[in-house]
Amino acid sequence: MKNYYSSYEEYQEIRGPGIIPPESPHDAERNEPDEEEPSMSTSRRDFLKLMGFSLGYAALATSCENPVRKAIPYLNQPLEITPGISNYYASTFFDGDEYAGILVKTREGRPIKIEGNGLSSLTKGGTSARIQASVLNLYDLARLKHPLKDNQQTSWESIDSEITSKLSQISTQGGKIVLLTSTIISPSTRQLIGDFMTNYPSTQWITYDSISASGILEAHELNFGQRMIPDYRFDKAKLIVAFNADFLGNWIAPVTYAKRYSQGRQLTESDSMSRHIQIESYMSLTGSNADQRIQIKPSQEGLMLLNLYNRIAAQKGAPVYPADPSPVETASLAADLLQHEGASLVISGSNDPNVQIIVNAINYLIGSYGTTISLSTPLTLKQGIDREMITLVEEMNDGKVAALITWNVNPAYDYPEAARFISGLQKTGLTVTLTERPDETSQLVQYVCAGNNYLESWCDAEPLKGHFSLGQPVIPRLFDTRQAQDCLLRWMGNEKDYYTYLQEYWQNNIFPQQSAKGLFTDFWNQCVHDGIFEMPPSEDVNTLYTPVRMTSSFPGVTAGIELVLYQKMGIGTGRHANNPWLQELPDPITRATWDNYLCISPSDAHELDLASEDVVLLNGNLEIPVIVQPGQPGGTVSMALGYGRTNCGKVANGIGKNAYPLITMTDGHRNYFSGNVRLEKTGKTYPLGRTQTHHTMEGRAIVRETTVEEWHKNPKSGNEMHQDIVKQNLTLYQLPVFDGIHWGMAINLNACIGCGNCVISCQAENNVAVIGKEQVRMRRIMHWMRIDRYYSEEADNPEVVHMPVMCQHCDNAPCENVCPVAATPHSSEGLNQMAYNRCIGTRYCMNNCPYRVRRFNWFEYANNDKFDYNLNNELSKLVLNPDVTVRSRGVVEKCSFCVHRLQEKKLEAKLENRTLKDGDIKTACQESCPADAIVFGDMNDPESAVSRLMVNPRTYQLLEQIHTLPSVHYMTKVRNMDPADKKRNYKNTYPIVSGEETTENISHE
Amino acid sequence: MIQRISARRNPFRRNHLFVFVFLVELVFILFAHTPVRAQEDPATLFQVCAACHTIGKGKLVGPDLQGITERREEAWLIRFIRNSQLIIQEGDPVAVRLFEEYNKIPMPPNDLSDDQIRSLLKYIETTGKQGTGNAGAATAQPGPAAPPKGQAISQKPAVTEEIPLPLERNSNRNFLAIFLVTLLIFFLSIIDLAVTKLIKARFIHVIIILTALFVMGEIVVVEAKSLGRQQYYSPDQPVKFSHKIHAGQNRINCKYCHFTAEESKYAGFPPVQLCMNCHSLVKEGKITGTEEISKIYKALETGKPIPWIRVHNLPDHSYFNHAQHVKVGKVTCNECHGPVEKMDRIIQVNSLGMGWCIECHRTREVQFFDNEFYTRYTIMHDKIKSGEKSKVTVDDMGGTECGRCHY
Repeated sequence: MKNYYSSYEEYQEIRGPGIIPPESPHDAERNEPDEEEPSMSTSRRDFLKLMGFSLGYAALATSCENPVRKAIPYLNQPLEITPGISNYYASTFFDGDEYAGILVKTREGRPIKIEGNGLSSLTKGGTSARIQASVLNLYDLARLKHPLKDNQQTSWESIDSEITSKLSQISTQGGKIVLLTSTIISPSTRQLIGDFMTNYPSTQWITYDSISASGILEAHELNFGQRMIPDYRFDKAKLIVAFNADFLGNWIAPVTYAKRYSQGRQLTESDSMSRHIQIESYMSLTGSNADQRIQIKPSQEGLMLLNLYNRIAAQKGAPVYPADPSPVETASLAADLLQHEGASLVISGSNDPNVQIIVNAINYLIGSYGTTISLSTPLTLKQGIDREMITLVEEMNDGKVAALITWNVNPAYDYPEAARFISGLQKTGLTVTLTERPDETSQLVQYVCAGNNYLESWCDAEPLKGHFSLGQPVIPRLFDTRQAQDCLLRWMGNEKDYYTYLQEYWQNNIFPQQSAKGLFTDFWNQCVHDGIFEMPPSEDVNTLYTPVRMTSSFPGVTAGIELVLYQKMGIGTGRHANNPWLQELPDPITRATWDNYLCISPSDAHELDLASEDVVLLNGNLEIPVIVQPGQPGGTVSMALGYGRTNCGKVANGIGKNAYPLITMTDGHRNYFSGNVRLEKTGKTYPLGRTQTHHTMEGRAIVRETTVEEWHKNPKSGNEMHQDIVKQNLTLYQLPVFDGIHWGMAINLNACIGCGNCVISCQAENNVAVIGKEQVRMRRIMHWMRIDRYYSEEADNPEVVHMPVMCQHCDNAPCENVCPVAATPHSSEGLNQMAYNRCIGTRYCMNNCPYRVRRFNWFEYANNDKFDYNLNNELSKLVLNPDVTVRSRGVVEKCSFCVHRLQEKKLEAKLENRTLKDGDIKTACQESCPADAIVFGDMNDPESAVSRLMVNPRTYQLLEQIHTLPSVHYMTKVRNMDPADKKRNYKNTYPIVSGEETTENISHE
Repeated sequence: MIQRISARRNPFRRNHLFVFVFLVELVFILFAHTPVRAQEDPATLFQVCAACHTIGKGKLVGPDLQGITERREEAWLIRFIRNSQLIIQEGDPVAVRLFEEYNKIPMPPNDLSDDQIRSLLKYIETTGKQGTGNAGAATAQPGPAAPPKGQAISQKPAVTEEIPLPLERNSNRNFLAIFLVTLLIFFLSIIDLAVTKLIKARFIHVIIILTALFVMGEIVVVEAKSLGRQQYYSPDQPVKFSHKIHAGQNRINCKYCHFTAEESKYAGFPPVQLCMNCHSLVKEGKITGTEEISKIYKALETGKPIPWIRVHNLPDHSYFNHAQHVKVGKVTCNECHGPVEKMDRIIQVNSLGMGWCIECHRTREVQFFDNEFYTRYTIMHDKIKSGEKSKVTVDDMGGTECGRCHY
C-alpha cells in the first residue's frame, strides 16, 4: 500500500527524519477563536440588547403581513418561451484565449448556465472552468455600462462623429492608424477588418496575445512556409512527449486536447492506453497526469531537445548539430520515440522559434506529420507575432503612430514592458479602446467604447480550418453597449449592422461551399440552430518540409534559480479575474484560492529555510508568499500570471501580484521564464487560503492504482481488496431494495485530469455561494464537489492522483441516522436527500460523514455586505438557477446528484408516456466534463452505462470497508509504466532524489 | 351576456394584430430558429377556435361545428376560416346569413396554410363523429355536465349554486380578543393568589391558571401554524377579472388561458394578446361595462403588462410543478384551486400547507398502468399481480419524500 499525502507539510510528518514539521497554519487557524464569535462573558448591556431585539423580532414576526407578490405576464408571449422551461441556444465561446462550442441554457430569457455543444467535433461537449464561469461575467456589476470619453460618460452619437472625423483626418494626412487586437478567429470579422483597412488605407492590423505562441507560428513558417499551429491529435498518439506544454490546462486549445487525450486513457471500452511523458519545470496540471515526469530547468529545454534530436537524427541519417551534453539522458526517450514511429507526438510550450524548429524536426523524423499532427487543418487560436508588438511599442514611443485602436487587449497590464507601452500611448494622437469591461488600458485612453458581452452578441469563428462555429445573442443588451464590430462598421461609414454583415459573409463565402441545403435561409437557420458547421475533412496535404539550420546556443541557461511563469486553471491570463467563482476555484495542484504565490521546491525551501506562507522578496522588489510544492524542480520557482489587477472590479483589484513584468524578451520573442532570480527571506508571513488539508479522509485507502502491465495481467490489480471487502460486508440487517430507479455514478480516475470544470459547473448549477478567502481559511469552502489531489512517492518528484469527491449518496448513510430532526433521509431512488427547511444546524451529520462532503452555512451568504460577491447585488443574482433553493444561514448543504435535473427528466418521460432512457439524465459535473470521466445513470438497469462500469474489475467504492454502501463508484488509476522502464535510463540527473529510487517504489503492496 | 356583445361594424383591432405578427416575426428573425409553430397539432389549433365554437356541444359565440364538413364545401371553408370578412363583403349569401344570425360578430382572420386548415377540419370531423367532445368551450373542466346538443348556453346560467363557497376566513375566530381576555384572567388569578387573596380555595386559582395557559397555548399553536400561509387570501386585482363569467358562464377551458399548465411548472398567466383573441370582439362586460376591459387595450397600447397579484404562493424552498399534477397525475384544477368557476374574485381556498399536500399524496393513485414510465417499477408490478397491493399511491412511488419537493 502506498503512502499518500496531500501537502508537503503532511509529507514531512510521514517521511521527514530530522525535519520538525512546522505546525500547519490551518491547525493554528483552527485553534484561534473565530473573530465572529462573541466573547463568553455577557454584560448587562448585552442582555438588554438581546432582550430588546427578541421583543422587537417577536413583534415583527407576529404582526407582519405576507408580502404581496406580483405575477406579470408577457404582453405577447414569444412562441419559443414557456415560463418554467429552459431553452438552449447554440453559441460560441472565444475570449481571445480559449475556444469552445457551447449551449447556453436560458430561463425566461436570461442565460443561467453554459454547457458544451456536443455537435462540435473539436470540443465535443466539453468546457473548461473559465467557460463555465463566463455566464457570471455577463452579470458583472463592474462591466462598462456606457461609452466613455476621457473617463466621462458620453453618447454613441458624439463618440462616433468625433472618432470618424479624427480617423478620416489622420487618414487623409497619411498618419498611421494601428488596430491592435487579440487573436481574431472570426472569418467575417477578419474580412470586416480588411474592409476597415481599405477604408483607412494607412491602417496596420497587429495581433497581440497576452500568452503568445509566436514561436510555433514562426517555426512553422520556416519549416512549412505557412504561419500556423498544426492540429495535434493526442487521440491518435500512443506516446506523448510534452516539454513544458500544459496542454490539458492552458496551452492553446485545452478542452479539445483534453477530449482527445482522455480518449486514449479511459480503459473501459478498449484496452490500449497512451503513454504520456512530461518534461517540465513546474508542477503543471498536465504534468500531474503524466505517466512519467522529468524535471528540468526552463532554460535547459532547448538543449535537451537538441540532444534528443541528435540521437534520433543519427539513427535516421539526418544532419546532426553540435550540442552540449543534455541535462537529462535522452537515449531511452529517443529509442521510445523511434519505437512508436508514426504514433508518437512531441510538443513544446516554448515560445522560442529555435526550440520549436527542433520540435518540428523531431516530429518530422518520427513521422508525426500526417498521423498525429495534421497540417491540413491548422488551428487559428493564436496568431500574434511578438516582434510586431515590439515594433509597435517602439513606433508609438517615437510618435509615429497617429491613432491606436485596441480591441480586447490589455497591454497596459499584461505586456512585459507595460510602462513603455503606456508612455507610447501618451504620445499617440488618438487612442480608442473597444472593450467589454474596464481594465488597465481603458483607463488611459481617450475613448472607451463599451462592448457587449459575448452572450449579447453575434459572432462566428473558425478555430480550425473548415470548422465553423456560430454564436448568437441569448439576451438583449443589459447596458448601453455596442458590439466592437458594429463600432468599426459605423466608423467606416457603413450603415449595416454586424448581424447583416455576418449573414452576408456566410451567404457569400460559406454557403457556396456546401450542397446539402439549397436555400441560404435553410442553411443559415440550420447553422444557427446547430452552432456548428463543419466541412467534410479534407485529405491530409503533404506539406513540404524544409529543414532549417538549428542553433545550439540557447539563451538564459543559468546556474541560479530560474522563475517559471504559468497560468492557473481559474484565472488564466487574468482576463476574467473579476469573477468570484474563478477566484475561489482551488488550483488543481496547490489547492490555493484567491492568490498567487511562488511555488518552491522542497530542497530549495529547506536550503533557504522557508515554509509555506513565508514571504520572500523576489528580485528585491516583489514581496510574495511561497508554497513548498512537491514536484517543483530544484533550482526553480514558479508563479502564476493573471493576478495583481488594478482596474478590473472590486473582486479582482489588489488580489495577488502581477507577474507579467517578469516575462523576459529575447530576440524578439517573449519567454515565459527568467533566469537568475534572487530570493530573500523577509521573515514575514502571509496567510493563503488553501483547501488541501480540508476534509481529509485521514490516510485511509482512498486511491487505488496499478500499472498498465499489471492491469493487462490481472484487471483487478490494485483493486484486489474490493472482492475481500465485498465478502466481509456481512450485515444482520436487510440490504436496501430500490424499486424502479437506483441512481448511481461511476468516476474513472484514469480519465479525470483534475481540471476543475465540474466544480464550477456544479457551483453554477446549484447556486453555491462564494465565501471569500478568510472563510476559506476557516475550512468553510462551500463547493459541493472537490477534487482531492494526492501525492505519493518522494516529494521531489511525486506521482499525483486527482479524485473528484462529492456526496457519495450512501445507501447505508452514517449522516442520516444522527440527524435529530430527520432533515436528511434516504429516498426510494437511493438519493441522500437534504431538506434545508427542516435542518436546524446541529452539524451532527457533518461530523458523522466519513467523506467530508457536507457544508454548513456559517453565515447568510446572500444579501450580505460582508460577502459582497455575486449574491449581493440584483444584477449578479440573475445567474441563479430558479430550480434550486438559495440556502440560508444555519443549514447544512451538499451534493444532491442534481435532483432537480432528475425530477425534470423523469417528468419529461412521464409527459411523453415513455420510460427513461439511459443517458437522458446528465448531472452538471458530468455534462461538460472535458475528459468524460463521470458517468451517471440507473444502477437498476443492467444495460445502463453506469451498471456496465459497476461490474468492471477496476471499480471500487470509497471507504467501502465501513459498509456505507455508496452510490458513487471509482475506477482505479492505471499508470502506463512499462516494467522495462526500470531498466531503462530515464534517470533524472538534475533533482536531488535519484530516478532509480522513484521507479523502484512503484510496487503496489 | 353574449347577446349584449356590441355589434359594431369592424371591431377587430387589426393594427394590434399587425403589431403582434410583426413582433413574432421579429423574434423569429432575432433568434433565427427554424420557426416551429406551436399550433401544428390540430387539437392545439382548435383551442383557438374553442373560444367561440364547440363540436357537438351547441352554439356559443359562433355556430356548433359538428358536421360542418358535410354542410359546407371544403374550398369555401378554407376561404372562410382564413378571412371571413372577405367573403361577407363579397356578398356570399351563406356567409352573410351566418354573420347576421350570429349578431354580426366577425370571425378573426387566421394565418393558416391550406394543410393546416384541412387537418383542422379533419379533426373537427373525427371529433364530431366520436361524439366524445373532449374539445370545445363547453368542456370547461370546472363546469357541470355539458348542456344537451344544440342548446344555446346563453339560455340559462350554466352554473348551479349548490356548494356554498368558503369565501371568507371564519369570522368567529376572534382569537386576539380571546387571547387577551384569557391573559387578563390569568394575571388576575395570579394577583389574587399572591396579593389580594379574595378566593380562599387555592385549587381554583390553579385550575384557572392551567386552563388559561392551555387556551393561550392552543391559540399560539394555531396562529403559528398559519403564519406565512395565505388561506382565504383574496386581494383586489388590477383588473376586476371574473373567473365566474369566463370559466363559469362562458365555460372557457382553464387551459385555454393557463395554457402552460400541462407542460411547465407554472400554469402560466395569459399574455394580454391572448385576451385579445376574444376581447378584440367583446368590448363591453355585463357588470363593469367597458371600464375593466379597456384596461386590456390600455396595456397593449402602453406596452405595460397587467401586474396581477399572485394569490396562490408557495415558499421558495418548495418546488411545485403543474405539468406533473395536471398532465401526468390527472389532477383537475378544482382539486387545489377550489370552485374557481364560481369566484368573481379569486380566493385561495386551500391552505397549500405541507400537511395538505401530503394528505393527498398519501391517498391519491398514480397512473401506474397508463403511463409507460412506471413499467420499470417491477417490484410494485409484482405486488399488484400477487394481490399484495390493490392500488399504487403517490406515496408508494416515493411521493412523500423530502427530495421530491425540497431541493
